[in-house]
Amino acid sequence: MTRYVLQRVGQAVLVLWAAYTVTFVILYLLPGDPVALMLSANNIEVDSLTPQEREVAAARLGLDRPLWEQYLGMLGAALRGDFGTSFTKGIPVTELLAQRLPGTFLLSAVAIALALALGLAIALVAVWLPRGRMADLFRRAPAIGVSVPNFWIGLLLIQVFAFTLGWFPAMGSEGWQSLVLPAVTMAIPTAAVLAQVLTRSFDDTLGESYIATARAKGLDRWAVLIRHALRNAALPTLTILGLLVGATVTGSIVVETVFSRNGVGRLAQESVLSQDIPVVQAIVVLAAAAFVVVNLVVDLLYPLLDPRIARTPRVSRA
Amino acid sequence: MSTSHRYRTPALAALAAASVLVMAGCSGSTGGAASPAAPGEPVSGGELTVEFWPDNAAFSCVDPFQTYWIEHRQVIRNVADSLTDQDPQTGEIVPWLATDWEVSADGLTYRFDLRDDVTFSDGTAFTADSVVLALESAKATLAAVPGAYGGVYISGYASSTAVDDDTVEVRFSTPNASFLQGTSTTNLAILAASSYEATPEERCLGEVVGSGPFVLDDYTPAEGIDLSKRAGYAWASELNDHQGEAYLDAVHINYVAEDSVRVGNLASGASDIAWPRNPFTPEDRALLESSGATIESRSLPGPSQAYYPNVSNGHPLAEKAVRDALQIAIDRETYAATIYGPEYPVVEGAFDTTTPFFVSQADQLAYDPDRAGEILDAAGWVLEDGAEYRSRDGQTLTLVSPITAETPGDVLIQDQLKQVGIDLELTVYQPADRAAIIANGDYDLLATYYTRADPGVLAWILDERYAGSKAFAKNAQTAETAAEVQRLFDAGLQETDATVRGDIYAELQELLIADGVSFPIFERVQVAATAPEVSGFRFTSESFLSYYDIWKSAE
Repeated sequence: MTRYVLQRVGQAVLVLWAAYTVTFVILYLLPGDPVALMLSANNIEVDSLTPQEREVAAARLGLDRPLWEQYLGMLGAALRGDFGTSFTKGIPVTELLAQRLPGTFLLSAVAIALALALGLAIALVAVWLPRGRMADLFRRAPAIGVSVPNFWIGLLLIQVFAFTLGWFPAMGSEGWQSLVLPAVTMAIPTAAVLAQVLTRSFDDTLGESYIATARAKGLDRWAVLIRHALRNAALPTLTILGLLVGATVTGSIVVETVFSRNGVGRLAQESVLSQDIPVVQAIVVLAAAAFVVVNLVVDLLYPLLDPRIARTPRVSRA
Repeated sequence: MSTSHRYRTPALAALAAASVLVMAGCSGSTGGAASPAAPGEPVSGGELTVEFWPDNAAFSCVDPFQTYWIEHRQVIRNVADSLTDQDPQTGEIVPWLATDWEVSADGLTYRFDLRDDVTFSDGTAFTADSVVLALESAKATLAAVPGAYGGVYISGYASSTAVDDDTVEVRFSTPNASFLQGTSTTNLAILAASSYEATPEERCLGEVVGSGPFVLDDYTPAEGIDLSKRAGYAWASELNDHQGEAYLDAVHINYVAEDSVRVGNLASGASDIAWPRNPFTPEDRALLESSGATIESRSLPGPSQAYYPNVSNGHPLAEKAVRDALQIAIDRETYAATIYGPEYPVVEGAFDTTTPFFVSQADQLAYDPDRAGEILDAAGWVLEDGAEYRSRDGQTLTLVSPITAETPGDVLIQDQLKQVGIDLELTVYQPADRAAIIANGDYDLLATYYTRADPGVLAWILDERYAGSKAFAKNAQTAETAAEVQRLFDAGLQETDATVRGDIYAELQELLIADGVSFPIFERVQVAATAPEVSGFRFTSESFLSYYDIWKSAE
């Protein structure tokens, strides 16, 4: 087990380093340099600067050194937890992330919890209902949730619950009320995916012989679902949990923009567009770390849900 | 086709009314608190919520000298005062922190008499030294942060000295007749010494202490700004409706990216002022008005929204005939009416109507597709049988226009030009590519704009010596025209007599249209919607929002 964990941690470090390096390379391959972009945003094109002025501008951003030196310098600092200073905001990246992360983290956590609850509820009802119109409705509704764009859901919710009913604010980051609409917006597509996957795996599980046995023992539909099918049907859901975390990262870009929330998603989008290299690097490493951790947790959870998985390696080693 | 002509007739009918409206807009706004919807005496107290278009994601900065973004500058306007103020209606420069001024005959020295009763919000006194420090810091900032936006305002600045506590002398190495107007702008607002002890980056993030009626409490990039009332404020310029402290206790500014959220929040009573970057759509306008909101509008002074050509060799617009045809092939009336609604003013020249020394070139800009066709025929650009577009020697008359995102306006002009056989090719580019597109000359028409209540500011677009992009300025005009344009800019900059300056700028405006250097598209109207309980709305000369006279009636 120790070796297994060490191996996984080693892989995680490798993934982080690769993410960092690939981002660095990609950002430098993008057309236009950050100095020109920042000047453009201030209504000035870089060709109006004298060569000396251009050097001063580049030096301010630490872009005057050779590429490899910048890379090694940034990587070394990153290892010490220093991700440099944002080009566009002039704030240390760690400070910037400390400001922006909690909001996004809270939003994502609430959205994922909501999505899990909602997805599970839809799937349970869908398989519990006897075949018929209602069951069809519950089986088909998730397809709508998956295909409708996030921003549209957000704007629709704002129209109804903010402007018309006035229950929740349409924007901002203050108070739990401001969290409701964005979290629901983010949860809907995720819940839809979850409901689809769960419904399918319930269907598969319910065809298994042990379910027939359970039924034969005289258990009712609901008890069979909860006590016997759920645990097995949950496995595929766990597998896509990592993807769900990814979905909340991309979802947060849209949701934070629509709801004017100050989070990492919007920061990521702004920073990519303005080639704010230090910020993008830090966010990529962070997102990669989240993926790695979630997948590690999932891998470690598998054996608990399905003891066969934990036993397999032992058998093969012997 | 039917879309572009649907509004023609009402637009024509509204033309006269529209130009009157623009004027009414200006005078209405200078009238200040006389908002007819809310009678009664101003009351103190209350907090104002303003929702703006987002702040500058590529450069979060509230330092008046460094920032270009309108949504930042107009907040600063309420925090930091300037030496002078400018009458939005007449363009006249009036006293503010300076009570009087004198310009030397050679235009190189400005002497300002200053008020002696002004303090910054940190308690320090405003003196001649404050002005010297502000200007010297501006110079230092420009050296440390190349391209800092305020550079254009102090072009030619040499040095300044405090003659005594309340007299300051500013010297230039080359004349800069726009400087007096510059002293009225937000970008040359005077900050307290403590602000200049901070680094340019710290100032950007809110280390800004001014002598204005509000104090900057907090700036959170991408989120918003909080202001609170400055106690003891007693030096408002005469352009305001009242003297003394501001009425509002606090102002909360939020940056909202979605137009529909900004509009919905105002209509549903969640905010007090909605301030978009682009004029409201006719639908949003209807929604706002039905909720009791008042729509305020004023054109942003400076160059209008216009295309500037690439006349370098090999490009179709190098040919005068093609430029002449293009100038009258754009149906500006239909554009204004279709894109922004029937009451929207039609652009009349290279500048917006609120620019001092503005002269209307409406006659030269009148839509005349038949004449445009004749000009192109004569130049050999003919429409072959069955062809959609004109061609000559096997080459199609195609004009490439790079845009960042396709708007209905782009498509409308594309359609209008198609009527005369010109192929407008809209190519979408990433903001990161703009500099390269300009440098490589990969365009025929590229749109830009600018805001400053002085016609000389067009030099920042068209005069290679000062331009924000040298390549852009060079591409936009032939060498002969460029020489003439530069001569006029120089004359305008050096001429301190207002009448003569007016003649110079009239000649400049005539030349820009006649020679096809500027192809105006639309008047840049700044609109805002105010909730029913808001009174005392006022546009500054820069078409920014002054919170100073605003008061909220208790409901």
